[in-house]
Amino acid sequence: MPPPPSKKRNKSWWKKALLAGIILLAAGAGIYWYIATEKFADTKDRKAAFTVNALDFIHEFEHNNEAANQKYTGKIITVNGIVSETEAADTTMNIKFIDTASGSYAIFAFQEKHLAEAKTVRPGDSISIKGSFSAGVYSRLRKTTSISFQRCTLNK
Amino acid sequence: MKKTFLLLSFITATMLSFAQVKSTTSAVVGFDATTAIDNLPKAENKTVIGEIDTKTGAIGFEAVVKNFAFANPMIQEHFNGAKWMNSSAFPLFSFNGKITDLSKVNFGKNGTYTVPVSGDLTIKDITKKITTSAKIVVDGGTINATSAFSVKLSDYGISGVPVDAGKVAKEPKINVSASLK
Repeated sequence: MPPPPSKKRNKSWWKKALLAGIILLAAGAGIYWYIATEKFADTKDRKAAFTVNALDFIHEFEHNNEAANQKYTGKIITVNGIVSETEAADTTMNIKFIDTASGSYAIFAFQEKHLAEAKTVRPGDSISIKGSFSAGVYSRLRKTTSISFQRCTLNK
Repeated sequence: MKKTFLLLSFITATMLSFAQVKSTTSAVVGFDATTAIDNLPKAENKTVIGEIDTKTGAIGFEAVVKNFAFANPMIQEHFNGAKWMNSSAFPLFSFNGKITDLSKVNFGKNGTYTVPVSGDLTIKDITKKITTSAKIVVDGGTINATSAFSVKLSDYGISGVPVDAGKVAKEPKINVSASLK
């Protein structure tokens, strides 16, 4: 004897709900997996939002630190200038542009895959460098403005 | 003239190599809050300012919070967010302390020394005392210093679901390494 129509409808509703639950769970897991395993893109492949001259850039922070931070936060920036100094950081080199009049500086830490590039740069070299702007802050230790970048690469 | 120039260069080089304050703008600070269930909250900042006064033993470090580089964009965003480090309002971590027993190190002689260090670590304008040890390698005019310690996030008012759920360590490890000249 076939089940009454109301029981059949109930069973079918449960099946649909279970299927929808499984799909939602799989989608959620997929989204979580994507976010958790996402890595920063290669800076070389990213377009710079601004291209600036190193000294003008430093002066912008010295003139109005808050406004400059607001303008550049989270942006990829190309900075052109003459290297003042290279400085060993762990196993790699950071590159610095220094305003000799004030001592303020912009410093660039390289992206993992581009570490070797930093070691080829020497003080006095005219270079174009692209990186992710972090912040410009006044250092109480050095009594100057320090502007830092991360995930940098050289423009060829 | 040539002799005078050579003499002046020698004096300058000697003064620089024995300068009282050794410093760098490229110290490296590692932040490791990974747990058995999450290996994402881990970052490095390679542009930390560091100074050591070899006469007094005074030590200072400043790290720009926004320059801690994580592999994962979402974790970096959370780290800088208002509930965590609130880096827009509190842009710097700072440490001001000293080598508490200067007799343990001879900055004038090449060698490896372990020294006790104590000082104030300030995060989000909250200052807590840190006591640890540091390894110092004196090599000519350069001082290579390394240290490791941990901080309690709750001491700095940092809490939340990821910490309670065990996805972020309650006491992250901090590693410091600096080559000071």
